[in-house]
Amino acid sequence: MRTGADGSLYAKCTSSLKNDVLPLLSKRVAEAVGAVIGHGIGTLEEIRLRAEKPLILQNYDREWFIGSDGLPSSKPEGSFIVTQDDIRTTVELMSENSIYAYQEAIRSGYITIKGGHRVGIAGRAVLDGTSVKSIKDISGLNIRLSNQIFGCSLKILRYIIKSNTDIYNTLIISPPQCGKTTILRDIARNLADGVPGMGFRGIKVAIVDERSEIAACLKGVPQNDVGLRTDVLDGCPKNIGMKMMIRSMSPKVIITDEIGNDGDREAVHNVLNAGVRIITSAHGYNISELKSRKEVLMLVEDKVFDRYIVLDDSRGPGTLKEIVDGRSMKVMTGADQDAV
Amino acid sequence: MLFKIIGSIIVILSCSFLGYILARDCTKRPQQLRELQGLLQMLENQMTYLSDVLVEAFERISRVGGETGVFFKTAADILKNKSAENACFAWEQAVNRCIRMTALNREDEQILLSFGKSLGNTDLEGQIKNIRLTLGQLAIQEKKAEEDRKKNENMYRSLGLIGGAAIVIVLL
Repeated sequence: MRTGADGSLYAKCTSSLKNDVLPLLSKRVAEAVGAVIGHGIGTLEEIRLRAEKPLILQNYDREWFIGSDGLPSSKPEGSFIVTQDDIRTTVELMSENSIYAYQEAIRSGYITIKGGHRVGIAGRAVLDGTSVKSIKDISGLNIRLSNQIFGCSLKILRYIIKSNTDIYNTLIISPPQCGKTTILRDIARNLADGVPGMGFRGIKVAIVDERSEIAACLKGVPQNDVGLRTDVLDGCPKNIGMKMMIRSMSPKVIITDEIGNDGDREAVHNVLNAGVRIITSAHGYNISELKSRKEVLMLVEDKVFDRYIVLDDSRGPGTLKEIVDGRSMKVMTGADQDAV
Repeated sequence: MLFKIIGSIIVILSCSFLGYILARDCTKRPQQLRELQGLLQMLENQMTYLSDVLVEAFERISRVGGETGVFFKTAADILKNKSAENACFAWEQAVNRCIRMTALNREDEQILLSFGKSLGNTDLEGQIKNIRLTLGQLAIQEKKAEEDRKKNENMYRSLGLIGGAAIVIVLL
């Protein structure tokens, strides 16, 4: 899962960056970014545009500016500055010159673009009563490049797979930016496609993708490969979506991201009562920290999960810290393992 | 004498034909203005109910056809091959390129150009307001054009005939 050193992964991400992302940036920015790709900045995770501020390229462990010579530089002084015009043009291009058609997406704060990349938006919120109606005067864009990493969950899968068609209920615990969603996506793909190496046959997977992060749907079609037996419900609140998917798509497993809101506990119990397995994730650094959050704590006390998988980034994003058995709360494997 | 008669008939016929063509242009303009209003109404529906992006909406509209569909077709083409920076410029180019193919006049052109100014770059509410405003302006233009038509259509027709007759009389 560690990036940069892996040549093929690097090439793949760079080509998606060139084909899917650069054409949507304003000409000036696209040229500047295009020129620094391949100058040893590794696999980018974020491109940040802020009005009248330097452009920042974010790698997994450090950030770069674009110097006046067009080369990556580590100092902000004299580096490439993004203008308000750049941002406006970029938003117009990303919304295919049709902001009205992307209103729903802009209102929720991000646009999904081709290739499964997601663009976060900051600006001035226009309110309609208490809900956000739209965002105007957009002043900040965060282009989060999606790096699909095939096979990153193989080590974890051994602990999730129960028999050749059954799996354990699993909770993945990880701090932000440690590859939680990437691993969840790879798990979905492997469970749906089957893992011949482990004698696992593909099962029906339903993804409830509240924040469009796992499958990154563009006009309903997943931009990320989430497997051939996977159905995706995009943009739907988890607690409603889980119930809907059980009824409508008869899945064997439901996969969803970032559990812990009000109503999630009831929804998870609904899933289990229907005889469907669940794999989900939660923000946190370890299990004891999770317990401070009521909704998750109750799920832990209910002994809903059979496996807890804790990740951190001590050796790059997606490092496996420990796997804990949900019944006995015994550590099954610890940090002595390799990065996943 | 025979030649004179034949010549006179040719002169009268061609003059009245000229008058007829001018008169037809008068009928075309209100027709096209009406058609344009219909197309804009379609655009509004597509934005509201289908959430089509501009290129898709324009292409669908241009397939409905009509002589004013050419604006939408051209703008869609420009947007697709990315020769304009945004929708506003694409529309402006399309209007400039195609206005001569239609019977629309300067005033109509100005209305179309100002319609393009906020094309695609606001939320749905803004788009609808913009379309409604343009529809209102076009309706006024249509009314004016209709009055012009009534006034001029007959005038051109009879002027053609009378003009031809006058030439014949002078020449004879």
